[in-house]
Amino acid sequence: MPENTTSLKYAVDIVFCIDVTGSMAPVIDTVKDGALSFHNRLEKTMAAKGKEISQLRIRVVAFRDFSDSPTNALQESAFWTMPEQASEFESFVRGLRAAGGGDVPESGLEALAVAIDSDWERGLDRRRHIIAVFTDASAHPLGKGADASTYPAAAPGSIDDLFEMWGYGSSQTAVMENAAKRLLLFAPDTTPWNVIAADWTNTLYFPSQAGDGLEEYDLNEILEIIANSV
Amino acid sequence: MKNGQTIRGYRIISEPTNSGGGRCIWAFAEKRGDGYFVKKFLDPKWPTEMSMGGPASKQRRREECLEFERRHREVNSRINPRALGGGNLVTAIDFFRDGTTYYKVTDRIEAEKATDLRDYSIRQAAVILRTLCHSIKLLHRAGIVHGDLKPDNVLLQKSGTGDLYTAKVIDFDDAYPSGDPPPPDQVVGDQRYGAPEWLRYVKGDPAVAPDQLTTAADVFTLGLIFHVYLTGELPGYDQSRFGAAAEAVWSAQPLGLSPALDPRAAALLRRMLSPTITDRPDLGELLHQLADERILIPSDRPDGRAPAGRPVPDGGRPAPSPPGPRRASRLRVNLARPAPAAGTPAPGPRPGPPAEPEKSRIRKNIGP
Repeated sequence: MPENTTSLKYAVDIVFCIDVTGSMAPVIDTVKDGALSFHNRLEKTMAAKGKEISQLRIRVVAFRDFSDSPTNALQESAFWTMPEQASEFESFVRGLRAAGGGDVPESGLEALAVAIDSDWERGLDRRRHIIAVFTDASAHPLGKGADASTYPAAAPGSIDDLFEMWGYGSSQTAVMENAAKRLLLFAPDTTPWNVIAADWTNTLYFPSQAGDGLEEYDLNEILEIIANSV
Repeated sequence: MKNGQTIRGYRIISEPTNSGGGRCIWAFAEKRGDGYFVKKFLDPKWPTEMSMGGPASKQRRREECLEFERRHREVNSRINPRALGGGNLVTAIDFFRDGTTYYKVTDRIEAEKATDLRDYSIRQAAVILRTLCHSIKLLHRAGIVHGDLKPDNVLLQKSGTGDLYTAKVIDFDDAYPSGDPPPPDQVVGDQRYGAPEWLRYVKGDPAVAPDQLTTAADVFTLGLIFHVYLTGELPGYDQSRFGAAAEAVWSAQPLGLSPALDPRAAALLRRMLSPTITDRPDLGELLHQLADERILIPSDRPDGRAPAGRPVPDGGRPAPSPPGPRRASRLRVNLARPAPAAGTPAPGPRPGPPAEPEKSRIRKNIGP
């Protein structure tokens, strides 16, 4: 990033929380196709809005279903700094395969907990911490498949506890900064996503058709929504 | 909020969007044949009986919500045009909670957004600047800082059958009492148009206390907006050293004003853009100065058709152009009629043909 091009330094962290079960092939292909160009496209979209990012980091949490196949139910990356580590980001998403998951629901809440528990940037002048969830299925209650060794330690015991992890303005238990965080839900109009959309602060909900792999959203729309959230 | 959904009688008629950022999404709506702009707040959320979280959590969230309601109603009552005695502030006409979520409704404004008034006649530009100042004067008299003034938040509405435009000021969601801003990580503003004290406050400079963020911050911002309106450009500063006008001023580097500005306009802008808060004129003085429309005539071409030079500071580069279409035409001189009073665009015939902006987009409304 060029120096002295902005007075305020904006740090933007984005966690893509992606359902990689079989029906999600369309959106996974979209993410794969756009991974390498994501940084440049986001930068251009932001520039058109008169905004500039000083530091951009991206991480991916891919999920399936712990009760179906715990060995590959969760794949998570560290944060990559963009554009320096764009090839590592691309390599990770190229390795994602839309497969498995069995029947709906999936383990989306566990993935969301892992995303909330990310190592968010705390420095620079202003921060935006975005979690973008992409799924076309409902989610199991937390704890389903918790006996698996791969089950994430970050996942709380109930959706009430997950709510408290997300928090609110005066929350004492929130993991993320209230002013910085945004949750973008690209998910069907089913529980728990529609309930989360109603109850959680700073959450934008883009309902999709269940089981259609979010085909109704293209990368430009997703980029626009993310850029508007920064 | 979905397209086609009806919320408290407002039928949503466009796809909701988060364009414009902020903690909201918005859409157009219709109710009994009238058009509205509906904003849905993302924070706070009222906890219902069915909501997540325990009793203590719900109690804290309800307290947050009640404080949010109180603050909204207080600011809105202070900037209500009836309370202010006029002005062109596009204020909330409805504010309510539906389930867990808060909504705000304003009239839908058929208006244009402009970042360059050189397509307009001198008379049109003068009325726009005066109506803008008049509204901000009323806001400041009520002790409120707008806090997020920028061309995007000033809509130009054609007045009746005439060819003059009134400046309508929108988006008061981040307004705050003078000297009492939100914490640094929450105070809103656009760094391209921010005042130096705002920038220092946001960056956590301990030398800038909250009480230094006053109505004078809006005056600095208006100075930048006026320069953009009159020249098409922000004032110049050394971009290799500074990222925004406020940062240059903060570092005691004077901004490069366009040589095309009338010397009196340049002198006025210099004071508006002063690093010293107390040196900046108030809105009453601005209106007094703008009563003489001749100060808006470009100095290098008294016929008003001069291309305004791009402002360049010593040893620096021009400031980046604000977003928006560039225009080729310039302010046209038209001083045949007496100036209308501030806030009351003059109706009636005018000597020349109407000066329609060539490329301005018709804004059916503007995002938050």
